[in-house]
Amino acid sequence: MRLKLKDLPEENIFSSGHTACAGCGAAMAIRNIAKVLGKEIIIYVPASCLSVFNGLFPSCAWTVPYHHTVFENTGAAISGLSRAMKRKGLDNVTVVGIAGDGGTADIGLQALSGAAERNEDVIYICYDNEAYMNTGVQRSGATPHGASTTTTPVGKLTKGKQDFKKDIPLIMMAHSVPYVATASVSFPLDLINKVKKAKETKGFRYLQVYAPCVPGWGYEQSKTVELGKLAVECGMWFLLECENGRLKINREPKMNNLETYLKMQGRFRHMDEKQIAELQESIERKWEFYKGYAELTQRLYGGSEASV
Amino acid sequence: MKEIIFHGRGGQGAVLAAQALASAAVFEDKYAMAFPHFGAERRGAPVAAFARIAEGRILTKAHIYEPDYVIVLDPWLAGLVDVAKGMEGHEGTSGGVPMGSVKTDICQGLNREGAAVLNTARRPDEVRLSLEVCVGTVDATTIALETLGHPATNSCMLGAFAKTTEEVSIGSIEKGIMDVFGERLGEGIAERNVKAAKLGFERTEVGMCSGGREFPAQKKWLPDVDELPPGCVIRSQDTEYGKLGPGSTVQNETGSWRTFHPIVDDEKCTYCMLCWFHCPDGCIGRVPDKESVSVDYFYCKGCGICSEVCPVDAITMVREVEG
Ligand SMILES: Cc1ncc(C[n+]2csc(CCOP(=O)(O)OP(=O)(O)O)c2C)c(N)n1
Ligand code: SF4
Ligand SMILES: [Mg+2]
Repeated sequence: MRLKLKDLPEENIFSSGHTACAGCGAAMAIRNIAKVLGKEIIIYVPASCLSVFNGLFPSCAWTVPYHHTVFENTGAAISGLSRAMKRKGLDNVTVVGIAGDGGTADIGLQALSGAAERNEDVIYICYDNEAYMNTGVQRSGATPHGASTTTTPVGKLTKGKQDFKKDIPLIMMAHSVPYVATASVSFPLDLINKVKKAKETKGFRYLQVYAPCVPGWGYEQSKTVELGKLAVECGMWFLLECENGRLKINREPKMNNLETYLKMQGRFRHMDEKQIAELQESIERKWEFYKGYAELTQRLYGGSEASV
Repeated sequence: MKEIIFHGRGGQGAVLAAQALASAAVFEDKYAMAFPHFGAERRGAPVAAFARIAEGRILTKAHIYEPDYVIVLDPWLAGLVDVAKGMEGHEGTSGGVPMGSVKTDICQGLNREGAAVLNTARRPDEVRLSLEVCVGTVDATTIALETLGHPATNSCMLGAFAKTTEEVSIGSIEKGIMDVFGERLGEGIAERNVKAAKLGFERTEVGMCSGGREFPAQKKWLPDVDELPPGCVIRSQDTEYGKLGPGSTVQNETGSWRTFHPIVDDEKCTYCMLCWFHCPDGCIGRVPDKESVSVDYFYCKGCGICSEVCPVDAITMVREVEG
């Protein structure tokens, strides 16, 4: 049964009064994800915006057990928590790690890879705001090409990040774990049903959620949802789902409107035609790759619907 | 030497304003410094920045505890925070104002000979702070919305500061803004901010406020090592310091952050629940009986997402008025 919005409970697992910026995409993602996951969970959060806006000790927005240690540890910490729960016979408890893109793509990648390779029985959620926001917008591996950050500024020689976005979902698919998916705060039903599926799956589950960030991206705070939609439309973000090796594309991008998407944000405002063309080319290549990958894995692992 | 504290909310540009003020002073061949209060504050949460201006070299490198002037960029902070505290005698705060609804004194440490420069639609004699001091008032939010299109009140308040204190001229403020804002945000935006500063200068009224407003002392839990629970594991509990542990953020009145608030038209609402889902703060409640939604203004930060996502335009954003 696919979840509908009305199936989510009114009661908050992630309380109001948290201190995320007005319009924060990460807060939007997390409070809804928590509603789908329910109360029988343990949450682990490493250093990130979330670790601050969910309350600093002794304040806390979570109404479920919440654990916080260091930045690079999510994969290791949730492995330990999950095994401890098993030892105690608490098989009903789901252990969930929620980290930023910096904590996932860069500093936490080793622990994440280890946990995935061991197929630990956990859910790992990365909310992707495409930079290190908590410390004031430094580039991460997940920062897209062209974006200006404090460590990839717009200067005379280079303008914004020169490298391309690290594809963490693909790295996770290469670990052959039971469930890897990407989602976005702008596609509610897709998001909540992926969380539901993750919850119902055993073993290592990875979900990366696109979460626009008002000050980090430099846009009008009411436009979070619109930006997220445009990102999927123009191919800056794909909605994918990989179950036991079989990739499915949940929404076919129109591959247009890249410029509209870019011009809405301060971080891309400097981009000239050449840079935009480079970016467009890279996302088109990525899209071709994913289409081919979906077809190939359908053939290898069986199944019918290659897309949508 | 004159010491200045800027009280604002993340996103209003307190730090940039402090830098532009320092730059303005340097244009007048004075010595100056500007620095932020470092903390984990997000947009909308109360923040502070500092500036010093002097005729000679400034050797003090510490935080400011006894300001000569306070500049309050946000219209609600002067009510939530005692800006005048400590103007007489004094126990300072670090200037960092806690998050959410916590009530502190923005006059804390303020020199009685000094002044408070406030963003408010009220006249000076309609303002009540903890101390009776000189205040300059200007409706900077309106000016910022008119000139910049969003409520970044920093430049306007620099104009108000020049008018109230005469420590620097409005001409120097304009140069300071072009210098600092120009480099960070580009010349076009800097020019609009100069306009906001000029309007701020023109529209500021200076006078005395009344004093005696009380800001009950906030008790803070500051356990020593022996009092900390093992592993810093803490349960949900109500204490003399307020709520602690899981779920305790419910006591934070993040509604004090906003400039606009949503109004729902029950007739138009089709109960699609998109606003309910997309509100980052859980402020929208479902009302099944009415097949409509309600807004919890205690938490609403005024981001306006609900109004944007509503497919039938049932939600409009309305400017907050000072009550
Ligand atoms: C080992 C270590 N290095 C650096 C930091 C400082 N730090 C805290 S949060 C953060 C950025 C987190 O970025 P990301 O994971 O993308 O989450 P976001 O803040 O963007 O939500 C950094 C660099 C730290 N806490 N620990
Ligand atoms: S900086 Fe970005 S991710 Fe962090 S709380 Fe603000 S909007 Fe959310
Ligand atoms: Mg990040």
